[in-house]
Amino acid sequence: MTSEALLSVRNLSIEFSTERGVVRAVDDVSFDVEHGETLGIVGESGCGKTVTALAVMQLIPMPPGRIVSGSIRLNGQDLLALPERQMRNIRGRDISMIFQEPMTALNPVFTIGNQMVDVIRRHQPMDRASARRRAIEMLEKVGIPIPDKRLNEYPHQLSGGMRQRVMIAMALSCGPKLLIADEPTTALDVTTQAQVMEQIVSLQEDYGMAVMLITHDLGVIAESCRRALVMYCGQLIEDAPTERLYERPQHPYTQGLLRSIPRIRRQRLETLPVIEGTVPDLLHLPPGCRFADRCPRAADECRAHQPPLIDRELTRVACFYPGARDD
Amino acid sequence: MSAPSATAVPGDTGRSRGSLWSKAVYKLSRDRFGMTGLAIVLVYLVAALGVWFGLWGQGWSDVTGPMWAAPSGEYWFGTNVIGQDIFERAVYSTKVAFEVGLVVAVLSTLLGAVLGALAGYFNGTWIDELVLWLKGVLDSIPFYLFVAALAFALKGYAYSMHVAMIATFWTTTGRLVRGEVIKLRGFEFVEAARALGVPEFKIIFRHIIPNTFHILLVQATIVFVAAIKSEVILSFLGLGVKDGVSWGLMIAESTQEVLAGQFNNFIWASVFLFGLVMAFNLFSDALQDALDPRSVA
Amino acid sequence: MELLQYAIRKLVSGIPLILGVTFISFVLMVYFGPDKTYELLGKNPTQEQIEQVRHQLGYDRPFLVRYGDYLRELTTLDFGHSDSTGERVNGLLGRTIPISLALTAPGFVLGNLLGVLLALVAAYHRGGWIDKLIMGGAVVGMSISFLIAIIAFQLLFSSSYGLNMFPVRGWDVYSLSDYVRYVTVPTLATVFVALGYNTRFYRAVIVEEMTRDHVRTARAFGTPPWKLLYKNILKNSLIPIITRIMFSIPLVVISGSLLIESYFGIPGVGKVTYDAITTGDQPVLKAVVGLTAVLFVLTLLLTDILYKVVDPRVSLK
Repeated sequence: MTSEALLSVRNLSIEFSTERGVVRAVDDVSFDVEHGETLGIVGESGCGKTVTALAVMQLIPMPPGRIVSGSIRLNGQDLLALPERQMRNIRGRDISMIFQEPMTALNPVFTIGNQMVDVIRRHQPMDRASARRRAIEMLEKVGIPIPDKRLNEYPHQLSGGMRQRVMIAMALSCGPKLLIADEPTTALDVTTQAQVMEQIVSLQEDYGMAVMLITHDLGVIAESCRRALVMYCGQLIEDAPTERLYERPQHPYTQGLLRSIPRIRRQRLETLPVIEGTVPDLLHLPPGCRFADRCPRAADECRAHQPPLIDRELTRVACFYPGARDD
Repeated sequence: MSAPSATAVPGDTGRSRGSLWSKAVYKLSRDRFGMTGLAIVLVYLVAALGVWFGLWGQGWSDVTGPMWAAPSGEYWFGTNVIGQDIFERAVYSTKVAFEVGLVVAVLSTLLGAVLGALAGYFNGTWIDELVLWLKGVLDSIPFYLFVAALAFALKGYAYSMHVAMIATFWTTTGRLVRGEVIKLRGFEFVEAARALGVPEFKIIFRHIIPNTFHILLVQATIVFVAAIKSEVILSFLGLGVKDGVSWGLMIAESTQEVLAGQFNNFIWASVFLFGLVMAFNLFSDALQDALDPRSVA
Repeated sequence: MELLQYAIRKLVSGIPLILGVTFISFVLMVYFGPDKTYELLGKNPTQEQIEQVRHQLGYDRPFLVRYGDYLRELTTLDFGHSDSTGERVNGLLGRTIPISLALTAPGFVLGNLLGVLLALVAAYHRGGWIDKLIMGGAVVGMSISFLIAIIAFQLLFSSSYGLNMFPVRGWDVYSLSDYVRYVTVPTLATVFVALGYNTRFYRAVIVEEMTRDHVRTARAFGTPPWKLLYKNILKNSLIPIITRIMFSIPLVVISGSLLIESYFGIPGVGKVTYDAITTGDQPVLKAVVGLTAVLFVLTLLLTDILYKVVDPRVSLK
């Protein structure tokens, strides 16, 4: 954790007031994103990974959301302290975000060109014609054939993969330093998934930007991320370089996640191991480790106290009994 | 967004319907405006029941005072052009308003429930087409002309206004119920009932309509308000309440008085009407909020 | 060409609606309506005279023949002469419909325009005190009867108890300034009553649109909130807005003006139709009801075409 990180999140806690009570969706999360690196954030749905990303963009609807504490610094500048007007200049220019559903993320009643030109001219002083040329250029970059024709089409005329490429082109059109990709391939079919991921990785190298890749798919992380964070119930429970996360996962939850990936190499037709039990209700969290009820190693200590994040060689892990798999 | 939500599983209604209702009641009870509205409506209801049981408001037609008497201890709100007590008339009209509102709300909602459920259950068949056609036709006939025509066709029948409202106000309920039933039809409990050979009319009335009750309740409150408001305009046009007095008739007779500078009749009838409609609107809004999980804040 | 085919298909599919409206109205207004026979006869008519008048009025022909005649009149748009005044029905409508339109159009347009505007303001400040103020005002507005609003506005603006600035009633319009004098108070009342309902409806539509994914996308690219509203949200909200406006048009033209026309004594088509019902002037009634139904079908078609203009996903199939 160096102070020159591009993005530096410290002790971030976010709450939502719901009809049934206040829910802490993100609890004391700290991490860095270095310049040009790809950071994966992985976890089940509801673990707080999307909320964390939206917090970086400051797109959390408030109310019902509320950032309780913490700081989010981009190049040293605290985004949480910025007035909304200045934050708007950062969105799309310094940090861009692409979303899970390419079907609904684009406005159905405007053409692709109209929406791209809007984004480009929002952040760069350009007339309509040059913004259009820039849009065509960007569409070409993300591998869309006949871009000048696509520009006059509406989102519903494009396939899901094409739409996600358009989103990527839009996101990169102002040359952001950080791209947040929230499950960018989940809604796409398998072959398109791979193509779109490759596209993101290759563009990242071209542009030298950092990518925060949010996913529930450990396979995607393995292919494209240098480092990965694992979240569970709003907390960061493991932070490790990708290789190490795969070779020597420290947290029992991470180990369980890894075991639940089908191993194609082994070609064995066993039933997939899944982690037993269910995620606790965020309204009624246990006092100790939130994974304790599902954990094979849980001891009394785990149920009584929350394990802090500890450094263990290259890994940060929140577990009293970290280490090698016990099977 | 990952904030947890407690969405009821639509298939197993036995359990989730109960919890849905208790949640709705809880939510409703915490809605300050809604509960204020309900309290005011209950006050009106007591006033109406008092008239019904002959406790008060019986002197509405007696000519007891002088013309246009000012408000006093004897005539709280003053008297009208022929010397009738405005307070007595305003209170008596509460009963008439509830009669109109309840009769129209209950019957038109029932009609909407039955026709909507039939159309939804037999979605795509001639029954559906017929109901949709009827709805389209009724929505296309100007309302006041319809009421006027019906009033004459029924040769001055005292309840022709009620009949006209019931015949036209069911269409929105019908549309909403139809949409809901089309959704419900695909659920397991309906499939199961059908597989067990339960007769279709029984499925519709025992299993489907009860599951649209949240729509019916909200629609009934909306129709109640619409009926009371329509009564005022119809009474002014001479198509409204025939025997008795209503806020609408009071306002209609006040249109001459106000030009002579006599405002008591107009003001008090308006205040009584506004109070009930406003209270009902607040209650209806709160009800909608509590019952429709999809409604936007 | 595609559009023309679609239009024809749509108009043909509107025929059952027209048949339904005309049939129900025919049964109610013509078959069971008031009998004009004795009104047109002198004292102590002979049986022969009675039959002659009944024949003139067409009462002696079978029900279906009379309904068939009605449909024929509707297709040729020739409804004959008024039973009461002898005026040609087309002439009567040509005289009264423009008055009704002139009377209701300003209120209708303003009521919807201001409604959308207030809804945008409320949605922009969603959850804040401005929103609460506007929506509270809407509920209060919705709770006030149209008749009460008319009387109150008339007292306020047209009587010696108020500002006494406008004529109390009537419609003596020969110039633009006359028009403004006579149309102001009815318009104010109409707008006042429509605004509550319109604002609520439009706000709900806009707020629902605000929660869409593409709005979040636009925000994620730094779009400022006012631009979100007028560009990214307003156009998407237009389908329900158009639907509401379009479908009130046929009723506004005929029925919506009835109360205003009766109250202010304005000789518009609403008043004429109402009088026709009470006196049993069948040719006028048949014309008004039939034309409303035709107008409804045309509106359905026009609305579909507008959908297509607003939303590229809509196809005219």
